[in-house]
Amino acid sequence: MELFDSLSPLFVLLTIGGTFVGIIFGAIPGMTATMAVAVCLPITYSLGLENGLALLLGLYVGGISGGLVPAILLGIPGTPSSITTTLDGYPMAQQGQGEKALRIGIVASLVGGLISLLILDFFAPALADFAIKFSYVEKFLIILFALTVMAALSSDLLLGIFSGFLGIFISLIGTYDVTNGGNGEWRLIPPGTEYWLQDGFSLLPLLIGLFGLATVLEEAQTGMQPGMSQKDVKVGKHERFSFRIFNGQWINLIRSSCIGTFVGILPGVGGSAASILSYSNAKTFSKHPERFGKGEPAGVMASEAGNNGLTGGALVPLLSLGIPGDSTTALLIGAFTLQGVQVGPLFIGNNPGTWDAMIWAMLIANIAMFVMMYFAIRYFAMVVTIPKHILFPVILMMCVIGAYTINYGIMFDVWTLLIFGIFGWAMGKLRLEVAPFIIGFILGPSAEVYFVKTLESFGDVSIFFTKSPIAMVLWVMIIGSVVGSILLNRSAAKRIRENS
Amino acid sequence: MYAHSCNADGLSEGARNFKLPVTLGSGREIMNFTRRTLLAAVGAAAILVQPVAGFSKDLPRNMRMVIGSTSTGGDTYQAAAIVADALSDKLGINIKVDAVGAAAGFKALARDKRGTTIMMFHDFAYLAELYGGKGFENPFEAFTVGATVATNPANAYLVSKDSPYQNMSDILQAAVDGTRVRVAIQPGGVSEIGFSAMKNAANVMKPGAGENIVAVNTGSQSDKNQAMWDGLADVINGSIQANEQFTQLPEDDQKAMRFVWLTSTEATLKEAPEAGMGKLTRDAMLQYAEPETSVPLDENTDFTFDKEFFFIFNKDMDPELIDTIDGALAEIYDEGNIQEREKAAFFTPNFQPSAVAREHLREKRETYGKLIKDLDG
Repeated sequence: MELFDSLSPLFVLLTIGGTFVGIIFGAIPGMTATMAVAVCLPITYSLGLENGLALLLGLYVGGISGGLVPAILLGIPGTPSSITTTLDGYPMAQQGQGEKALRIGIVASLVGGLISLLILDFFAPALADFAIKFSYVEKFLIILFALTVMAALSSDLLLGIFSGFLGIFISLIGTYDVTNGGNGEWRLIPPGTEYWLQDGFSLLPLLIGLFGLATVLEEAQTGMQPGMSQKDVKVGKHERFSFRIFNGQWINLIRSSCIGTFVGILPGVGGSAASILSYSNAKTFSKHPERFGKGEPAGVMASEAGNNGLTGGALVPLLSLGIPGDSTTALLIGAFTLQGVQVGPLFIGNNPGTWDAMIWAMLIANIAMFVMMYFAIRYFAMVVTIPKHILFPVILMMCVIGAYTINYGIMFDVWTLLIFGIFGWAMGKLRLEVAPFIIGFILGPSAEVYFVKTLESFGDVSIFFTKSPIAMVLWVMIIGSVVGSILLNRSAAKRIRENS
Repeated sequence: MYAHSCNADGLSEGARNFKLPVTLGSGREIMNFTRRTLLAAVGAAAILVQPVAGFSKDLPRNMRMVIGSTSTGGDTYQAAAIVADALSDKLGINIKVDAVGAAAGFKALARDKRGTTIMMFHDFAYLAELYGGKGFENPFEAFTVGATVATNPANAYLVSKDSPYQNMSDILQAAVDGTRVRVAIQPGGVSEIGFSAMKNAANVMKPGAGENIVAVNTGSQSDKNQAMWDGLADVINGSIQANEQFTQLPEDDQKAMRFVWLTSTEATLKEAPEAGMGKLTRDAMLQYAEPETSVPLDENTDFTFDKEFFFIFNKDMDPELIDTIDGALAEIYDEGNIQEREKAAFFTPNFQPSAVAREHLREKRETYGKLIKDLDG
């Protein structure tokens, strides 16, 4: 059968091997799926296109999935798309439910990956046509919608929103990059720091500084608490993991997977928005929104289904338009380029063998990811039993290595890690909130570009409201999210007053 | 791209002389065994990673080739990867291509006088400074410009398939007639130079008509395409590789496009593979380039632009190292294999030694500099 033509033992082996290496990259703070693909890209030249893609797609799926391990166990998102996994996964780990949180995350990752793969296989060209209906206006509104999650994640509404805006402000430091349609001018750079801040602060070093180094500094200040014992973290001895935890959550899983896929098909919106939007929606539609951020399994499910949903979605514009959906698929184009294969609207029709191979690789990678991670969980989970005086120096070293290598060896990225480690520690003292800050930092540049480009292109603010029916639907969602957050915040404040 | 070489002879010599001290018995002895084994393994690994002596004794064994693009899917990475691979084999050293981007690439290059960091870039290197890009310097003054290695003949301009403009003459005539023509470009480089040429051509046809050709500043190719699909641009900058498949779509498809101009010279395009790319044969390409498609630079000549890839070195790098690289490149291009690989990747092979290339690129800079200056008034 033609469908199985590409399934050679080497192909399967490369996919599984790629997934394994990807999981390791994703699980090390500061290393990402993008980095894994970048490192292995040159190897693909000698492997040929289909085998090369098998390796890269395995790395992609593994890298995205591996990010949940440090997010849950250490409170450090392994990849930017795991930020929202940290919000509930880490509290679960602190409550001795790290293994449970990992299993939930892995199952959700598999569901997200498979749903997005089905959508990719059946609807890729049609979805690409739908994606190009999203102009600057609609993309700005999607980013704005994702930004409303800042309010939903804030324990103190005003301070949370302030933290978010601070994140946006800091994200705009540097050059208004011409590659994003900017004018190449520098802005917000303090005098004397132009040499270092020309490209602004890098996301990954900032992220691991705020989540990783800040935690180490906090523990150093308060005195390290002993690590958990094995009996605190092992599910097996106390309660068996049951898939019944997903009862009532299938809508959440499917919705989050679809959101992830949808965000993936929109070039330029960015992978992190997938999990942020999925998480935000899960909270909005939850019967217990107040539990989010405190160890709610539904939050982990939404985040992981969302970010793995992205994997299939991001391949839609790549294979139907020749346009990458996120930073990792931008690297995948390199594999095609190195083999001299054109990627564009005719790719699927002209290259049915390669298309089938990619679908197989994604399927095998998702299954391999699930098997490898699900059965290795108990060993992963033991990380939290390592005494902190041993664990923290290792984390710190990995953070520094990750920061230094993320942009191919720029020392300022290590300084960024240190600066934002201290800043993250200080934020706690000032009651500023890290999650809204990070979300503002990630989404700020996209919001700026799409806002400015809309005004440049249409010259009128009213276009944001009148551009299309899609824009109007997005406004309804934005308003719903803001009102929901305010009501939730008020009811939480009322409950606290009543309790006290 | 990490091209790796190692000294197989050195390793086997080391391996032959190495005897494993097997002393099983007490715990201490076992510990010694383990430690010695580990030491031996580390030693063997150290020998293994030693590359062979370079083409020249002074050449660094590990070299980093930064490129001015952050994309590993673009033509800069591809051109650099092909050359790095060939140079690694020829010189017996490791050359790793890092897609760090223009600003970071120049910074890395400026820091390293030893020659362990070199750069591969294209005409953006001097165009960015000519267009006043913040932080960019004249590479002919701040750095040492080296050999050219390839040309990408694919820099193109396209219109929507249902556009009223059939060719460049229509576009320029529209501007002369007072119609505003919007061109989607990424400002400050290769994408903008064709736009500047269009403005200049309209001015040549009727002074002041260039004002009717306006830029729509976008970012990536995706943004330029989207600008056309959203009806925000009448003409977009693109490339044969990225846009050819869109030209095969039927006219009623919103995404369908049509080439109107390839900026390369006729001579460069004649070097392209006869089959071209996709449905665009070499003969068809020539219809979109000078002299068939004319975009006047002045009353006597047409504007052309070849996107050339070349080396850039630190200003204080030892000239002997540059000579060594030049010599190795000359041998590589004499052997002829690299040309086949470049052609397969849709490049036109274009090796010119450093001194020749420097003068050629300096002349290019002067030509385009004058054009940009004239437009700025």
